[in-house]
Amino acid sequence: MFQFILRRILWTIPVILVISSVTFMLMHSVPGGPFTRERALPEAIQRNLEAKYHLDDPLWKQYVDWMGGIFLHFDFGPSYTSRSRTVNDILAQQWPVTATLGAVAFLIAICIGIPLGILSAVKQNTLIDYGSMVFAMLGVSIPAIALGPFLIWIFALKLGWFPVATWGTPAHIVLPAVTLATGYLSRFARMTRASMLQVTREEYILTARAKGVRETMVNLKHAFRNALIPITTIAGPAFADIVTGSLVVERIFGIPGIGKYYVQSIGNRDYPVIMATTLIFAVLIIVMNLLVDISYALLDPRIRYS
Amino acid sequence: MPFLRKREPREPKKAKPRSLGRDAMRRLMKNRAAVAGGVILLVLFFAAIFADFVAPYSYTEGSVLDNYAGPSAAHPLGCDFMGRDMLSRLIYGARISLAAGLVGAFTAFIIGVTFGLISGFFGGKTDNIMMRFVDIMYAFPTLLLIILLMVFFKSSLSVSGVAAEGFRGTLSNIDRAMGGMFFIFLGIGITSWLGEARLVRGMTLSVRNTEYIEAARAIGVPRRRILFRHVLPNVLGPAIVAQALQIPGFILYEAFLSFIGLGVNPPTPSWGMMLSDGYIAMRSHFHLVLWPALAISITLFAFNFLGDGIRDAFDPRQTR
Repeated sequence: MFQFILRRILWTIPVILVISSVTFMLMHSVPGGPFTRERALPEAIQRNLEAKYHLDDPLWKQYVDWMGGIFLHFDFGPSYTSRSRTVNDILAQQWPVTATLGAVAFLIAICIGIPLGILSAVKQNTLIDYGSMVFAMLGVSIPAIALGPFLIWIFALKLGWFPVATWGTPAHIVLPAVTLATGYLSRFARMTRASMLQVTREEYILTARAKGVRETMVNLKHAFRNALIPITTIAGPAFADIVTGSLVVERIFGIPGIGKYYVQSIGNRDYPVIMATTLIFAVLIIVMNLLVDISYALLDPRIRYS
Repeated sequence: MPFLRKREPREPKKAKPRSLGRDAMRRLMKNRAAVAGGVILLVLFFAAIFADFVAPYSYTEGSVLDNYAGPSAAHPLGCDFMGRDMLSRLIYGARISLAAGLVGAFTAFIIGVTFGLISGFFGGKTDNIMMRFVDIMYAFPTLLLIILLMVFFKSSLSVSGVAAEGFRGTLSNIDRAMGGMFFIFLGIGITSWLGEARLVRGMTLSVRNTEYIEAARAIGVPRRRILFRHVLPNVLGPAIVAQALQIPGFILYEAFLSFIGLGVNPPTPSWGMMLSDGYIAMRSHFHLVLWPALAISITLFAFNFLGDGIRDAFDPRQTR
């Protein structure tokens, strides 16, 4: 197990190298630089700016310097658009917003989606089952870019329960988090239901019932625990997806998170910000996948890694 | 597909022959939700194909007098911020969404099947290198990659001005002729084939070790023939179903890209772009958001219902 984790952690090194160099090459092959303006700057100023940020170095040197900065000093470099802040400052300011939004949305998805799935499986083919599955189908089908405006219109403009947009108080989190969570909530509910139904056909469930184990215990301890494996499989990537997906929601609700900043940075050719964001998301995905693999071993003693 | 070919019995029998495909079809037709989804999609397809005849107005021309107009007899769904008829724009928008879904799935299918087939069939070092590449790309945040690619396509491949020449010029002209859709197809295709490649590789590995492949090899069938005649047909079915289930995701990518302004070029109506135009004026003119939001949700709903139905129908454990 320890070896397995170690190997996976070492594996992230080539992954990060490839992802960062692909991002780097794509960025630099886009015409126009961070200091290209509609009205061109005087040549001397342009040259000095580029020299200050080492943009006149050969590309490979820029890449090596940048990667070196991260690994040696944990320094993601300067931002070209907000001159007074480094990328580290920007990340420190905006990443918590995205992370909070993502974590709240993920919690909503898990805490409502999984119980909903269990309930539909236990009450299979009843009105409760049909009702929650129709709801789940709606949830999967309505995308955030359609759901967000709907929720704003109903709960912010008509009922006035929540603020329309922006960020700040806990009330600001509700609508964007629900927008972000709904699709994954529905996916969790559908997955849990399918997985539970499959497990309940197993013979050890019959045995447990025959022994006279209480129905709640059968459902929760015998069935649900074994139904958890496919759920974790989607939960890991779903968390990463939710956090990346906040890019959309941040734009709809005007939230000052990293996703909104990412899109702006691409327009501004703010190379260090683009690189830093891509890398952070990539590391997040890798970590989540690793956690999923580890949790398999914890959930199912039959799975052993060597 | 050869494996679904109907075999005619030599002597006519009373019972109809039951093949996998026929059974699946029967199960599918019994699933009311799936049939409803299919019917909605058929209507959408025809509306998209015959948009020039179905749509009451042009999608580019509007009248200043109709800016933000609500529903009326002349414009049943109202008009947008430039006085253009919403219904017509929605109908033309179906073209973009459906095309993005289908062409995206097709591109990802072609790349994924080719990659997975080569990797699984040749095995060894080739397989190892190809699959490590897939593993690496798996960690790339898809949404960010597709945004990067779109910016790259839009600014370095598209050449402004009329006289576009060379390879880049050709690509750029194709894209401009398609209202900016070509690069979306390309972006979706390049980012979304990884799962398909893994699936196909896995199936190829298991097919490769079956007795009939061994038999074919023993009688001296050339490798290429084994690959195309014996392995490929056995892998194709699940690979197609897997991509069909991805279509809603691709439709979403297009809507999202157009929503943030990296999708289709402006006069082309895309539901995502209509949403992004509309939600700015949402407080006073909610119909600008309502219709595109409904259109995209209903389409995804239909695809999901049909997809679920097809998956259940082909599930051999089900014997309804």
